[in-house]
Amino acid sequence: MNANTWRRWFGLPAIVVVSAGAACVGEIGDPIGTPGVQPLVCNGTTISPGDAPVRRMTQFEYNNTVRDLLGDTTQPASSFPPDEVANGFNNQAATLVVTDLLVQSYMTAAEALAATAATNLDTLVGCDPTAIGAAACGAQFIQSFGKRAFRRPLDADSTALLTGVFTYALAQWDFPTAIQLVIQTALESPRFLYRLEIGLPDPSAPGVSKLDPYEVASRLSFLLWGSMPDATLMAAADADALGTPALVSAQAQRMLKDPKARDVIQNFHDQWLQLDQLATASKDTTLYPSYTPSLEATWKAETLAFVTDVVIDQHGDLGTLLSAPYTMMNASVAAFYGISGGPTGSAFVHVDLDPTQRAGLVTQPSVLALTAHSNETSPTLRGKFIREQLLCEPVQPPPPGIVIAPPPVTPGATTRQQYSEHSTDPYCAKCHNLMDPIGFGLESYDPLGLWRSTDQGLPVDASGDITGSKDANGTFVGGVALAKRLATSNEVRACVVAQWFTYAQGRPAASADACSTVQLQAAFAAANYDIQALLIALSQTDAFLYRNTVVPGM
Amino acid sequence: MSNHRSSWNVPGRAKLDRRALLRGLAGAAIGLPLLEAMEDHRAHAGTSPQRFVVFFTPDGSYPDASAGLPEPWATGTSSNFTLGTITQPLAPHQSDIVIIKGLDNKAAMDPTGPGDDHQRGMGTMLTGVKLLPGSTQGGCTTCAAAGWASGPSIDQVIARTAQSVGTMTKLSSMEFGVSNGGADDWGCMVYSSAGNPKPPTEDPTLAYKALFADLNADPDGQKLLIAQRHAVLGAIMADAQKLHGVVSAADWMKLDQHISSINDINKGLDTVVAVGGQCQQPTAPMAYANPEDASVFQAIGALQMQMLVMTLTCDITRVASLQWTRSVGNVVMSWLSPGGSPIQTGHHTLSHADNTDTASQNQIIAINNFYATQLATLISQMKSIQEGSGTLFDNTVILWCNELAVGNVHSHNDTRYLLAGSCGGKITGGRMLTFNGDPHNNLLVSLANVMGSNLTTFGDPAYCTGPLSGLV
Repeated sequence: MNANTWRRWFGLPAIVVVSAGAACVGEIGDPIGTPGVQPLVCNGTTISPGDAPVRRMTQFEYNNTVRDLLGDTTQPASSFPPDEVANGFNNQAATLVVTDLLVQSYMTAAEALAATAATNLDTLVGCDPTAIGAAACGAQFIQSFGKRAFRRPLDADSTALLTGVFTYALAQWDFPTAIQLVIQTALESPRFLYRLEIGLPDPSAPGVSKLDPYEVASRLSFLLWGSMPDATLMAAADADALGTPALVSAQAQRMLKDPKARDVIQNFHDQWLQLDQLATASKDTTLYPSYTPSLEATWKAETLAFVTDVVIDQHGDLGTLLSAPYTMMNASVAAFYGISGGPTGSAFVHVDLDPTQRAGLVTQPSVLALTAHSNETSPTLRGKFIREQLLCEPVQPPPPGIVIAPPPVTPGATTRQQYSEHSTDPYCAKCHNLMDPIGFGLESYDPLGLWRSTDQGLPVDASGDITGSKDANGTFVGGVALAKRLATSNEVRACVVAQWFTYAQGRPAASADACSTVQLQAAFAAANYDIQALLIALSQTDAFLYRNTVVPGM
Repeated sequence: MSNHRSSWNVPGRAKLDRRALLRGLAGAAIGLPLLEAMEDHRAHAGTSPQRFVVFFTPDGSYPDASAGLPEPWATGTSSNFTLGTITQPLAPHQSDIVIIKGLDNKAAMDPTGPGDDHQRGMGTMLTGVKLLPGSTQGGCTTCAAAGWASGPSIDQVIARTAQSVGTMTKLSSMEFGVSNGGADDWGCMVYSSAGNPKPPTEDPTLAYKALFADLNADPDGQKLLIAQRHAVLGAIMADAQKLHGVVSAADWMKLDQHISSINDINKGLDTVVAVGGQCQQPTAPMAYANPEDASVFQAIGALQMQMLVMTLTCDITRVASLQWTRSVGNVVMSWLSPGGSPIQTGHHTLSHADNTDTASQNQIIAINNFYATQLATLISQMKSIQEGSGTLFDNTVILWCNELAVGNVHSHNDTRYLLAGSCGGKITGGRMLTFNGDPHNNLLVSLANVMGSNLTTFGDPAYCTGPLSGLV
């Protein structure tokens, strides 16, 4: 679902910004209560996991999970009602509500998946019902399949659920039907669709429960793969070998080498960089005749190939992501940039760019195009994107009584000149000074994200200014200088940690997560801001390894 | 947790409590026979059912009086009134509508409620209670972050009543949308209970699939499929019920909602939709790559209205809503040209225009006039469906509502509503009712009453004094 423009005004809540120290002692601005700074001590003796709301599978996770569970690559969830976006991501626990329509979609998807799976019945069940008896073969299948579907060994209730359906269907119909109905039942059960966590309550530490090994395995696999655990991870849970941070870290390192981790890296960056908005980023073809709708996919593919190369293949750091003078190109991307002698196939290869023109994500056409209007750039939207997505500073929406229409394209006047009203009117300037001067620094990129030296026939003025930030303030000239500033900003680093935390936990960090946040920032810094290190660190926090002890509700 | 969802209190009938029943089933792997026993079978042959439709449009109903424009809704006396610039398209139906002025949405005006004015308006409009505290920060510097609504919406209360008075339908309700922009608390008005929104379906293909896809399927194949679905859904519900008291209270709310949806679908399986006569399977809509693109706004609106009418005609449900965009909806209606030039600014942006900005105020009126035109089309379509000695429209009441009164000041006092249809002769049309700050919860009570519920209060009881005086 495409967020409309207005929703972009309501970005992340205030983000915890911590001066990360190696001793894991920092100061934290209370993200919820009154402004002010409170001393914070994270000494590892008080465990504070924060909220752990039940997580429902997203479309991304459902598709991946049925692929790994049944080998089915039809991506049935892609036609489910869309997952709603909150806090910038579509995997937020509080927002993933259930409707009759979604439950109906689960039902029809499960029926189709079970029918396909049953076309290969012998391999699927792994036993011969005529040899050992239908009941015995069914029971065997229920235990093996049920454990994988519910991501833990079947307890008595779960066994009764699947056996009850199997027995009933076998009596009513036949063995293949009974197996299909078992699959349907599993796939439509909340035990499959939600990550239900009970934890291991400890009477000596009331209020906080360590997660059991299967719960940890599921958290790991959905964090790093967006899918169910594999056999190795399940075996580790069976052996109770996920009980220490070190054991969890070892699994995380193994899992990041799996190609499935690439999908998660792309899913996160797709959402963080708001690339879904490219779908509606069409451009005025009278002014920009080289635009075709297929460019939206080209821009997105370039950025996703780039982040995957940096994060996974190069084991790169945040600074590289934000300032590398190269990109990944295939033939379509090369044609867009107008590179001669570039790649000719559909595969992406590393191509160095002019380091005076390009530096990392902020100067990529995807980001520049989605933050521009169809007929002109938008210094406001570009500045707002950097302010909200990279600095995690939400910008107030415009006050009542204002008509917010972009200035018309006017021959003989640059976009920059057109936007100057925002800074001359003190009423507008209060907020626009936080956005427009950053966006002015990107005026060398046209609404398609291509380099330009003139706008309306006049030379581009790409001088910019950041004000009101914690550590990135000051003037600069051009996108490369801006990118380099952001690449070394602690505020940006803290923001990236916050974004990943929100994505990983399915909720934004709250005051209870102060020590988890400090721990993440310290680990990120200690690894020179290596993104994979941050992902591993996400599996080491109180928020990840523990939960509040469940108080069953009536 | 609310009792609303899990038990059906029906006057004069035994109380059927799904939860108690399912709890009793804890040991049984298959809850099929008992679940079937819970179902009612449709009766009342020969009498037409009554329907309730919510028609939502966003961003304020009318410009402030100080904008100096003629009253755009209606002027005159209660029984002799002239329609204004917004409501003019409803002239062919003037004797069938009731214009309601002067009600206050007091739950939205509650200074202790979280959320900005759009969030509050949206979440209270049909629930009559303030929002829950939450984590979604509105567009305001001093308001508290908001969560979902803290009670069920009136349409869902009516839907539960309708489902329990011997009149099972395939779906208890259907929420249609047009370009809704995501289900946050700005985008949800329908709630099955506190914290459980029912976001609208904006993609006509999905709506069609849910409503009509299997309407003409092979009856024998359907019979087998239905039996198997009962076996699966019944077992899942009975098992999921065992998680009650195991997971946390907040998590249980979510699972309970899920079970409730399974229950809805399971109950609807046996409902045979009688295709024939005026109930015909509509043509499957084309697939829209982006249902939120402004270029398809009108086409999708028309499709959703046609499906809504056929849904009611076929008695697939008796409660429906059509949500045009969302509070703060910002569609650019470039197909409208008030004053001669096409509108180039989004609706929400325009709604912030100053009272002295007459051009923008006239564009706002044109947008609301466009929505009145859609409502008039919906009414005409319902009037074209014969039902008994009258029409589908005669057995329906439509509520046109908005999350705000005046857009540029975000007000919730002197809100405007419009009712269309007599709901089986219970509401007399051709009237304009003017109140002096009565709570709008009273209107919600009256709507429930005409739909067969004996509610005496609704929403926050502090903001309700009973049915709306003089309506029925």
